[in-house]
Amino acid sequence: MKQLRAELLKIRSTRTTTGLLVGLIALALLFTILTCTLSPISQLLTEREQANVLSFGSVAGVFAALAGIMLFTSEYRFGTIRPTSLFNADRNRLFTAKFIAGMLSGLIFGVIGEGIVLSVGVGIFKLRGVGLVMSGANVTELIVGAVIGTALWGAIGVGIGAVVPNQVGAVISLLAWGFVVENLVFGFLPTIGRFLPVHAADAMMGSIQDKQLPGDVGVLVVVAWALTLAVVGLALLRRRDVT
Amino acid sequence: MTYVIESASLSKRYGDVLAVDDLSFNIEAGTITGFLGPNGAGKSTTLRMLLGLAKPTLGHATIFGKPYGELDEPALRVGAVLEATDFHPGRSGRDHLRMLSRAVGLPDQRADDVLELVELQEAARRRVKGYSLGMRQRLGLASALLGDPDLLVLDEPANGLDPEGVRWLRDFLRDFASRGRTVLISSHVLAEIAQTVDRVLIINHGRLITESTLEELTARVGGVVRVQSTKPDQLALALHREGIATSRPNDHTLLAQGTTRERVGDIALAEGIAIHELLTEGSSLEEVFLDLTSEVVAP
Ligand SMILES: Nc1ncnc2c1ncn2[C@@H]1O[C@H](COP(=O)(O)OP(=O)(O)OP(=O)(O)O)[C@@H](O)[C@H]1O
Ligand SMILES: [Mg+2]
Repeated sequence: MKQLRAELLKIRSTRTTTGLLVGLIALALLFTILTCTLSPISQLLTEREQANVLSFGSVAGVFAALAGIMLFTSEYRFGTIRPTSLFNADRNRLFTAKFIAGMLSGLIFGVIGEGIVLSVGVGIFKLRGVGLVMSGANVTELIVGAVIGTALWGAIGVGIGAVVPNQVGAVISLLAWGFVVENLVFGFLPTIGRFLPVHAADAMMGSIQDKQLPGDVGVLVVVAWALTLAVVGLALLRRRDVT
Repeated sequence: MTYVIESASLSKRYGDVLAVDDLSFNIEAGTITGFLGPNGAGKSTTLRMLLGLAKPTLGHATIFGKPYGELDEPALRVGAVLEATDFHPGRSGRDHLRMLSRAVGLPDQRADDVLELVELQEAARRRVKGYSLGMRQRLGLASALLGDPDLLVLDEPANGLDPEGVRWLRDFLRDFASRGRTVLISSHVLAEIAQTVDRVLIINHGRLITESTLEELTARVGGVVRVQSTKPDQLALALHREGIATSRPNDHTLLAQGTTRERVGDIALAEGIAIHELLTEGSSLEEVFLDLTSEVVAP
């Protein structure tokens, strides 16, 4: 699909995505090295405790969502939305291309983020003489969940950017939602909060906290969020004049 | 007769502002049309509606017989630039063009071809951040040329160009149109495009004020043609027969009122009278333009 090739080139031809990737790598390394070396060994022994540390790769979701947000907001910010709209007169195809591109870049963020956390984390465990007690199936669920979840965050970012084309507004919305709103709702009303995207995505990685959704339900919920945002974003994109 | 561009009662309302008001015009193939009007006249809004970027409040516009969005791969038939600054500063000019050409299935080579066409090869791999305004204008033009279009729509392409750049653009557009292709180019300064265009559409407050050739425009508002000839009396008679009033400031000079150089020249030729000087004076085009656009438009 030619529009997708165009979107992938857009992502590669500026430093924005590379910058986000560097940020992710730095944060994943920093967190993993610090928690795995500084936590008392007594707190790294159960499956739940280990999963909790090793699931930190899902932080890639934040970076993937930011990268996804940029796909629309940077076009509005720099005015490239005009040539882009002239060359992609079919807004459905434009949106679909960005949605898939956001998901693909998210996939890469997920592989890198979880890859770093898992390899470095398990490596440090070994050095400290802590054996990995997680079952193979659980490790697989953790990896697959983190990677797929991050890919979906890339798509959600695209939807957010289509709904809120102002870059600062979109980024603030994402961060306020992910770090404040969801945690408040989950804290007070976990039965509702667990259906919100961050917590549903966490559930995809297996059992890491109480009151979460089963993993398979989590996937469906996150997909539903991504699609809902896509439908709203596409409707707004089609209605909005490019000025 | 089918037109390249047809605008039928195009209107656009932004809140209380009627940016474009019942605007109808047609543009024929092979012409260069200047789309003129002072700041805020509604030029950009009209172009955005032509190009499917903004939805008309009323009316509709077609390009090659269809709304822009319904053309099959419109960027291969219509090249357009709306702002000179529509680039990601951190992306190279070449990558900007490659991403656009990929979207319509053109090979990357096409980006290099158009870069050469606008003489921007050397800067191609540099980030746009470091481009001058003139270079950005050229890059924008290059993007419009990617699809090898039959119609160019340019919003104020001469903004920020130095005189040499303006001349380069003029020659370029002339050459483009000489092969039967069509250009619509907007400006708020008549002088900037007077030597480029065949026809002008003048709008103000979103309404069409005048649609004519440049020469007609000059003539209509009382252009004066100064002509030097060895037989001024005979020429004056011939001009009078054609209904053109003349005056005679000195022995060899005639001033012909409200006509064009072409017309005076043709009449002189028909009479076999030699002409030594032929020029338009009196109200300059810019005065004509200011005159037309400062008219009070009835609400
Ligand atoms: N997105 C918008 N929202 C509200 N008003 C707008 C919008 N775009 C244009 N207008 C208004 O519509 C009118 C026409 O604007 P437009 O940009 O089309 O004029 P223009 O002829 O291109 O002017 P200029 O020579 O300054 O580029 C102006 O009064 C402007 O304020
Ligand atoms: Mg304008």
